[in-house]
Amino acid sequence: MKANPRDVNSGTYYMDGDVAAGYGALAAGCRFIGGYPITPSTEAAETFARIAPKAGAVFIQMEDELGSIASIMGASWSGVKTMTITSGPGYSLMMEAIGLGAMIEAPFVILNIQRGGPSTGVPTKTGQADMMQARWGSHGDYEVIAIAPDSPQELFDYTIKAFNLAEKYRCPVMIMSDECVGHMSEKVVIPPAEEIEIEPRRFYNGPKEKYLPFKPDKDLVPKMVKAGDGYNLYITGLIHDERGYPIKNQIEKGKSQKLPTRRLVDKIRLNADKIIELAEEGMDDAEVVVVSYGISYRVAIRGIEIARGKGIKVGHLRLITVWPFPDKKINELASKVKAFVVPEINYGQVVFEVERCSHGQANVVLVPHGGAGVHDPDDIAEAIEYAAKEKKKIRKVIEWKTRLEKFVFEGGYKLNK
Amino acid sequence: MNPIITAFTNGIKKSGLELSKVVVVSDIPFEPEVIKEIGVDFFHVTRGRAIAFGTGLKLGNPDLKIVAFIGDLMTLGGNHLVHSGRRNMEMLVICVNNFVYKEIAGTLAPSVSPGFSAFSTFERPFNAPHLANSCGAIYTARWTAMHTNELANSIANALDKRGFSVIEVLAPGPNFYKDINQVNYELLDFYYKNSVTKNNVDTRNVEITSEEKIVTGEFTDKEKSPFIDTYNAQLGKILGDKFIPLGGQSGRD
Repeated sequence: MKANPRDVNSGTYYMDGDVAAGYGALAAGCRFIGGYPITPSTEAAETFARIAPKAGAVFIQMEDELGSIASIMGASWSGVKTMTITSGPGYSLMMEAIGLGAMIEAPFVILNIQRGGPSTGVPTKTGQADMMQARWGSHGDYEVIAIAPDSPQELFDYTIKAFNLAEKYRCPVMIMSDECVGHMSEKVVIPPAEEIEIEPRRFYNGPKEKYLPFKPDKDLVPKMVKAGDGYNLYITGLIHDERGYPIKNQIEKGKSQKLPTRRLVDKIRLNADKIIELAEEGMDDAEVVVVSYGISYRVAIRGIEIARGKGIKVGHLRLITVWPFPDKKINELASKVKAFVVPEINYGQVVFEVERCSHGQANVVLVPHGGAGVHDPDDIAEAIEYAAKEKKKIRKVIEWKTRLEKFVFEGGYKLNK
Repeated sequence: MNPIITAFTNGIKKSGLELSKVVVVSDIPFEPEVIKEIGVDFFHVTRGRAIAFGTGLKLGNPDLKIVAFIGDLMTLGGNHLVHSGRRNMEMLVICVNNFVYKEIAGTLAPSVSPGFSAFSTFERPFNAPHLANSCGAIYTARWTAMHTNELANSIANALDKRGFSVIEVLAPGPNFYKDINQVNYELLDFYYKNSVTKNNVDTRNVEITSEEKIVTGEFTDKEKSPFIDTYNAQLGKILGDKFIPLGGQSGRD
């Protein structure tokens, strides 16, 4: 299906990433955003609020993030595409509801423009430390999809992709961007509507009395209907059967072991190859592979240039989709290369996934950053140089001591013995 | 069947609404499984978020009639009550007040008086109709579960109105709707016999105390522009022809 021309403000612009995400949401067919203002994501909400009414879409400023996320799930079941926009503290508040979203299989998108540090942290500066929270934030078993764009153009393009994935797999989809990309102004080309592919909602169109809200299709994703269309829906966050009716009592009595969580997990894991999008470069004869995502990808490009200038063979693997994690790809690379270098703006999150998937075959070097800024490309280059020289197999994540860390922490804290 | 649900279905019948357009949202403390028998759509969401979820449903499809059944209206999600009143979001909230969180070992709700439990209640209780009224609700009422006719009429009246309405219903615990044999008749009867109906009284005077009789009746009934109308009017003024109003079905897909 093509995008609706009314939703697409085609043209070439100079805009920041947040604004591009607002335009992207509308182009994807988003009809409802419930949000609560939070730096550094507010411009995305402001943009959507400004352009939405001309396309019949609504923006509502809810009373808090708890309300925002609940409202978008409601709107999602009323039959429209929905999104919410937030940053760290708001994202934390949304965690309980993300589990509900996974459970009732409401398609929705969360745009998280990450800030630095825990708690209030550094609201106006960047970070990439919510990556594990995106994956594991809510309680219980479920799977999500997370995408990390690296430029305003990508915030436009991948916002559309996020909506498409949400509709296709009916699960929470997170756009894990960061302040640096969100507040970066660059050229953004919004193509004509006929060039934008959008995924329509998977509506059920069989006989009414035969509809089962949680009966999966072949790809394990069930079809959806709208509330108010006379299907007598019973949709609950409790463990439920295909009809949607709670089965907690049967489970307690040992009558039923068919928990729906198995399917919630499998519908993403088994379709992972279709979902995962990666970009690679210079991989053919690489000895060291830099694995990066989001803004760190762009900084790493310069680091790789420097390292290549010194004659080191470096490949660059970019995780466009961070969750589900490309286990197979990393494992495959691990058997061929000496080491992975993972620069990320945190003290180790995605690096542990890389280590897990390399199964001890290659060394894994973390180039950490505490947030509120991006890496110094020289640090990444030095880490690559070290990784290429290191002959020993080191069976743990090696933390590279960056200049910043050395300067600020004098090489890291030590416990007084 | 549960008298509240009976009153609810009668209320819908009286108001002439199509059952399929009514969407019931409730949160965790209130889980009326019986609702699947009456032909409405039902959503059971996270604690305290029924009103917010309903807000999304309404704005996603303004043709829907949203009814939020809530057990614990005034703690978790109390802010949604306050702000939906402020917005005058078109929605009927039925607060089924039993004073306790019975499923979690008899802990107490914010509607009980201090001293009700020696070790856990020290605060003054919320007066639900007054709270709703002060936040801007256009309709408030209180009944006990035994006032089935009055409650049905009240629900019909509230469903006819366009705006945020709150009805408080006093009823004994959650066992109430699971099995007719488990109904706590004594308590049901106690509420009924200890109530006095005073319509249109000032909501400041309807606090539930252990000394006085429970005041029931319809307290607030006023008109105010609902959220969607205000939204359409304001944006229509600013954007003119470019604006696609909400709820007109003109071009929303």
